[in-house]
Amino acid sequence: MSPLPILNWLQNTNWATALKESALVFPLVEGSHILSLSLSVAMIVMFDLRLLRVTFRTQSVSLMMDELMQWALPGFCITFLTGALLFSTEAVRAWESPFFRIKLTLLALAGINALLYRYRYQPKMAEWDLTATPAGARVIAALSLIFWIGVITCGRTMAYEL
Amino acid sequence: MLQTYVDRFVYWCYYSKDYAFVHDSKLAIPLLQSLHLIGIMLLLGTTVILNLRLLDIGFRRLPLPVLSEQLWRWTNIGLLLATVSGIMVFMADPTRYAHNQTFLRKMVLFCLALIYQFTVFRKVASQDPLVRSKAQNGMLAALSLCLWFGVAWAGRGIAFF
Repeated sequence: MSPLPILNWLQNTNWATALKESALVFPLVEGSHILSLSLSVAMIVMFDLRLLRVTFRTQSVSLMMDELMQWALPGFCITFLTGALLFSTEAVRAWESPFFRIKLTLLALAGINALLYRYRYQPKMAEWDLTATPAGARVIAALSLIFWIGVITCGRTMAYEL
Repeated sequence: MLQTYVDRFVYWCYYSKDYAFVHDSKLAIPLLQSLHLIGIMLLLGTTVILNLRLLDIGFRRLPLPVLSEQLWRWTNIGLLLATVSGIMVFMADPTRYAHNQTFLRKMVLFCLALIYQFTVFRKVASQDPLVRSKAQNGMLAALSLCLWFGVAWAGRGIAFF
């Protein structure tokens, strides 16, 4: 079943039209999306760099995770909410854009990647907190960097007609 | 005299073969804009971390000098990425940006932010916040955040205003 009728209905709802046509609220929502995304991805990037032992080598992984994630998670909530609002203003165009589809795929992969870390490596984090990161956790960190850079690139590129 | 150089530069940007890889390519601008955003992400993200610590509302278990020692390099990498990609986007359509009021405001804020970053803020971030009063730290952090977020919001505003 094609989702197009639903997407069409969504972007023609009164509030989606109002948001799209608002000269002030639309730029505000778009700006908030980009800024909250920047902040939460920066927190993830710093954590990945810690796992790869590029930064904060003398600080434990658990400490860095505690400090960084309490800011990344609320940031992602704002990013997701504002992203959903932006999607509703041009649902059909976004759905048909290959860059949007790649972006969603990369987001899903980043999520699975994070869950993998959560269940495979986080429970025993205290054992290697200050020594060498397990090879698998390093791979997860490297993949996370690649996925997020990809999400940003596809998100920015989908604004252009290509 | 100056006008001649400006004219020549603008002509070069639009017509030179040396810059054709940007102005004749459909992908160049989206890719440069993505790099610009990745640079902003690093610059703003690390700056926000330092300011949260300076305000004593986040990253409390890490001393500010440790944070700034580890993060400063990434702030600079972000700044460099954003600046180089920004200049390249500007050069792809110089008259569009030079005539845009929001862009000019962004450049004024950007210069102020740079001066503040490399004179006052670098020193503040390398010291323990306890050497100053809470009110002083609040003012220093507020100025840093207002300048950099001002630059970012003005940048987004170029597309709209």
